[in-house]
Amino acid sequence: MTRPRRSSALTGAAAAAALLLLSGCSSPAPSGGSAEPVEGGTLTYASGDAEPTCLDPHVGGNYPQALVSTQYLESLVSLDEDGKILPWLASDWEQSDDGLTWTFTIRDGVTFTDGTPLDAEAVRANIAHVQDPATLSSTGYLALGKVANAEAVDARTLRLTLSAPDSALLESLSQPWLAIQSPEGIARGMDANCAAPIGTGPFAVEAWDRQSSITLVRNDDYSSPPGDASHEGPAYLERIEWRFLPDSASRYAALQAGEVDVIDNAQPDTIVQAQNADGLQELDAPRPGSSNRLELNSGKPPFDDVRVREAFIRAVNVDDAVQGLFLGTAERSYSPLSSVEPLAYSQPDLFEYDPEAANELLDAAGWTERDSDGYRVKDGERLTLRLPVSTNQSIPAEQSLFEQLQAGAKDAGFEVVLDPLDLSSWYGALGENDYNLVSAPYTKVGPDVLRILYESSGTTPAPSGYFANHAQVRDPALDDLLIRASQVSDPDERAALYEDAQRMVLEGFYILPLYDQQNTYLLRDDVQGLRALPTVSAPTLYDTWLDR
Amino acid sequence: MSDLEVSARLARSGVERRRARGGPGGGRAARRLPGAGESAAALVLLFLIASALVPQVVAPVDPLAISPLEAFRPPSAAHPFGTDESGRDIFSRVVHGTGPSLLLGIAATLIGLAGGVVLGTAAGMLGRVVDFGVNRLLEVLFAFPGLLLALFFIVIFGPGIVTATIAVGVSTAPGYARIIRGQLLTVRRSAYVEAATVLGRGRWRVLVRHILPNTLAPLFVLGTLGVGQAIVWAASLSYLGLGAVPPAAEWGAMLAAGRTYISTAWWLTFFPGLFIVLTATATTVLGRRLQQRVREQG
Repeated sequence: MTRPRRSSALTGAAAAAALLLLSGCSSPAPSGGSAEPVEGGTLTYASGDAEPTCLDPHVGGNYPQALVSTQYLESLVSLDEDGKILPWLASDWEQSDDGLTWTFTIRDGVTFTDGTPLDAEAVRANIAHVQDPATLSSTGYLALGKVANAEAVDARTLRLTLSAPDSALLESLSQPWLAIQSPEGIARGMDANCAAPIGTGPFAVEAWDRQSSITLVRNDDYSSPPGDASHEGPAYLERIEWRFLPDSASRYAALQAGEVDVIDNAQPDTIVQAQNADGLQELDAPRPGSSNRLELNSGKPPFDDVRVREAFIRAVNVDDAVQGLFLGTAERSYSPLSSVEPLAYSQPDLFEYDPEAANELLDAAGWTERDSDGYRVKDGERLTLRLPVSTNQSIPAEQSLFEQLQAGAKDAGFEVVLDPLDLSSWYGALGENDYNLVSAPYTKVGPDVLRILYESSGTTPAPSGYFANHAQVRDPALDDLLIRASQVSDPDERAALYEDAQRMVLEGFYILPLYDQQNTYLLRDDVQGLRALPTVSAPTLYDTWLDR
Repeated sequence: MSDLEVSARLARSGVERRRARGGPGGGRAARRLPGAGESAAALVLLFLIASALVPQVVAPVDPLAISPLEAFRPPSAAHPFGTDESGRDIFSRVVHGTGPSLLLGIAATLIGLAGGVVLGTAAGMLGRVVDFGVNRLLEVLFAFPGLLLALFFIVIFGPGIVTATIAVGVSTAPGYARIIRGQLLTVRRSAYVEAATVLGRGRWRVLVRHILPNTLAPLFVLGTLGVGQAIVWAASLSYLGLGAVPPAAEWGAMLAAGRTYISTAWWLTFFPGLFIVLTATATTVLGRRLQQRVREQG
């Protein structure tokens, strides 16, 4: 996933000396070339994602929170590059034969940055916090759906009792939305904890200047890196300046000018430009979970008719749009799952652009007349589709993609109304069922995301008010497949069940897969050791150091 | 605002100068022929009006027709202004965007003028108490930058081209009101109004026959100048995503969409920007010329 650096770092002593002279930097020159990490310094990170409204990822639970909280919070387990579960704050675990009882051993000798020791009771308090409706959790809450009881057996032993076997439990627990925080911090109440959550991570939140930046400082007592980290002990960086720069052109300009060291959410044209520029590196780490897709709201007309859903999908030319707008930086997807999910199943023939078929399907569905604007009409009603677009989450290329789909759909007689909204109005439109189409990427480790997105119960809102089944699929046969898949322990059986489930979602025309959830970071050449954590591909700056 | 205030001062000083010369239509009224700048401005306006009225003749290509595989083409013979991120012809989009942009500018200016006339006349004619009230209200409104007022308005009534028009109109009204009030006060004290009053003409008659005509002539000039400004403001609102909604070809919205690609595809932003500048400049140049004519004719 990680592209090799294109240009080698400065190795010559003369060059290093020149750099020192130029930058007036006081840190010691790298003695043996770039291999020797340098301590200290401040790294400036510019995020193009929305600024979180709460820095505690238990609350709500979205990707902007995951990006920053990965620097100061840690989870019970992690993943390595091959998707294997790694111990983290839990050093060991086992499950009972019936899969209903899980016993975790909590890592010894770890303390939160407020001095509270990490023990089984602290983890129990975190699970209770996520499950408490007052926390308004959605992502973490849904991931813990089967955890019926959590109990601290002794200081180091935590026992989880499940209501049904959960083959995705460890994958769920690896996510930043279920990271472990100091129980003392949680007890301060939501406002204080949102402003500065307290974790065991390599950095701690020092200040949050809203609408501008978050200042993170090194945790000098840090002792709990995951097994795949490349060093031990405290982080190299002294501070991180985590800035919010929503405009992609200014973000890239700031990176070029050296005002910032790392940017996320690099746009396709920027990525292409950076590939031809000197002094920049690229880190490409697509997110796991769902692909970027349009969900077709089957819960209300006109998409309650499968023929209309198929007609829409056949009427739009996604291939050309992805090619033209993403300039080769994103692959077209034909699957409900991200391509980084090993169990992703694709079926391209269902999504072939076929305007004639679209017209025939609409005629068959009774949308035979057209009004003066060329839109189809049935019983005096226009064939209108509302598509609320979150301008915080949809990158400009994606918004342009929607405009292209709008134009294609118009030829078939659909009126697609694009509604650019800020994040809270967008959540509002979804909550009021005021949409026919929506793009709501969902990041979760493992194929169990399918259960969250397409099982009937996903139409019931989580405590935050968010529901994940935006396609409003209510199919008992699919529910059965997804529930069985989440309970079996045999990997082959699990794979087969998930394949059937994905086929059912695709053949029901509930979604129009577009492309993978992109996650491209651009960094200056002197930033070393940045990697994306293989769980949800959020960056971790623990191993990062500045070669200057 | 500053533009309007300068114009107001000019308009007023014209009146004062006329008075100093002892009456209307005096002096050096040797009519000047239109200069190169004015001719160019007139040509630009003619082109804009043609684009607004018959866009399909000026640019036959459908401004909404996408062609994804021809995205980001630089200007060429086939696409004189290049293509945008969806392969749409930018020349065609700019031309088709003229109508909405001009209409928006003119409608917003009319709304602003209407509001200004009502407030200004009330302040200038209805006595001290009303004058005091209106003036304090205007001062409060002036405390906010005009664009901020427009933003308030849009936050309350929701984005869209109609609300954007009203928002720009409403937020320009205080400026016009103040100018009209000043103008009214000057005219009211002029010799001919005094004469009419002395001759026993009714209050309304004096207002309608003598005061308003002499107040509104400079106002027409201000309106012409205001259209350019209103277009710029409306484009700003669309740029912020608060005006036209996609896929409408509106200049501000085009600027906003192209901004992302400004370092790789300059033509996405350059041409809509050029048209905004040309429109604002052309209306201002002609507005000034009109102003001069009014002053010279008296």
